Amino acid sequence: MTERSAATAGIRKIVHYQEEILLENGTAPAVPAVRATVAAVVSNPWVGTGPDTDLSPATERLAPQLAHVLTDRLLESLGGAEQVEAFGKAAIVGTAGEIEHAGALIHTPYFGNLVREFLEGSSIICFADDRAEAGQALVVPMWHKTHAATRSHYQTITTRVSDGPRADEIVVVVAASTGPRPHPRIGDRATDPTVTSAILEGASA
Amino acid sequence: MSTRKIVTIVEEIVTEGGRPVEPAARVAVVAAIIANPWDGQGFVEDLNPGIEATASDVGALLASRVVEALGAPVEAFGKAAIVGLDGEIEHGSALIHTLKFGDHFRKAASATTLLPAVEKRGPAGVVFDIPLKHITDATIRSHHQSIEVRLADAPHPGEIVIALAAAAQGRPQQRLAPLSTEQ
Repeated sequence: MTERSAATAGIRKIVHYQEEILLENGTAPAVPAVRATVAAVVSNPWVGTGPDTDLSPATERLAPQLAHVLTDRLLESLGGAEQVEAFGKAAIVGTAGEIEHAGALIHTPYFGNLVREFLEGSSIICFADDRAEAGQALVVPMWHKTHAATRSHYQTITTRVSDGPRADEIVVVVAASTGPRPHPRIGDRATDPTVTSAILEGASA
Repeated sequence: MSTRKIVTIVEEIVTEGGRPVEPAARVAVVAAIIANPWDGQGFVEDLNPGIEATASDVGALLASRVVEALGAPVEAFGKAAIVGLDGEIEHGSALIHTLKFGDHFRKAASATTLLPAVEKRGPAGVVFDIPLKHITDATIRSHHQSIEVRLADAPHPGEIVIALAAAAQGRPQQRLAPLSTEQ
C-alpha cells in the first residue's frame, strides 16, 4: 500500500534520517530523545507554468499522498504517534520552480492537517523552505505538537538529499522528535520574570 | 568507548532513470560518533590498546543496527571512518581495518568478503561516500555502488565517525555485463 502510494505520488526517492543523542556536553540527557526526518523527492507538477496557475488541483492530489508516505515511515521508526512530542515540516524546491510550489505541498490542509492528525498533534506545524540545488542541507525547526510554546521542545534537525532536488523536483520533509533538547534549562513562559526595556534600564541604573 | 550520537539513514529509491524500481531499492547506513580514543595524546606509537578497547564494541553496535535498519537480507556492504580535524586518518583506519571490527558485520550479514572502505579527515558536516560491494564476491559488478553521507555536526575535532552501510540489492537499474564476459 505504502509503496504503491510512493509511486503514484511521483516520488523518486525517500530518505529517512534518524539520530539518537547518547551524550551532549559529555553527559547523558535526562530525557533521551530520538529525532527523525523523512524526505521525499517528487517531480514538481508545476514546472513551466506561470504565476497565475491554480495550484490547488495538483495540491489536492499529491499532498495527501505525501503526508501518508512520510508519516508512515516516521511513525514506524519512532514507535507510534504516542512517542512523538515535537514536529516540523519543510520543502526545498528545485531551481526551475517557485517557492510557492514548495508552499503548495506543505502549507495547505491537504498536507498539514493530515500530518497533524497522523502524529496526533494540535499545534500549528512550524516549517522551513528554500529553493536550492541538489544536496543543499536545510535546518528544519520543530516545536511541541500540542503546546507549541513549550520552550524545552524548541529544536531543529538538518535534512539533506544528496542528489535532490533536481531543477524540476521538490523535496518534501516531515520531522519529529520524541522529546526535548538534551539539556533544556532556559526556563519557560510560566517561570519567566517580566522583562521590558524599561525594567532592564532600571536594573542597570 | 564514548559515543555521543548514533545516526541511522535509510534511502529508498522508487524510480531511477524515469522507470520504476520494484521493489524499491534500499540502502541503510548507521554511524556512531565516538570520542577519538587517542585524542590529546600526541603521536601514539602503539595503537593496539585503543583498538582493543574500541574496535569490537563499535563494530558490534553498528552491525546489528544496520542489518535491522535495512530490514532485508544484506547483499552489498561497506564501511567508513571519518576522523575529526585533531586526529590522524590512521586513528580511523585503526578502528575499522581490523577483523575485530568487521567480523561482527560479516557474521550478521552472512558475508565472506572484505568490506570496502572510505577513510577521510574533515570538519563537522564533511560529505563522504561509502563504497559498497557484494558480500560474498567482490567481483560482482551489479553490486558496485556507493552512498553519500553528511552528518550536520560531526565529527568534532576530537571525534571519529564510524559507519557501516548495507544494501539489499545492486544498483537500481543495473544492466552492465558481468566481469566474466570481458575475459
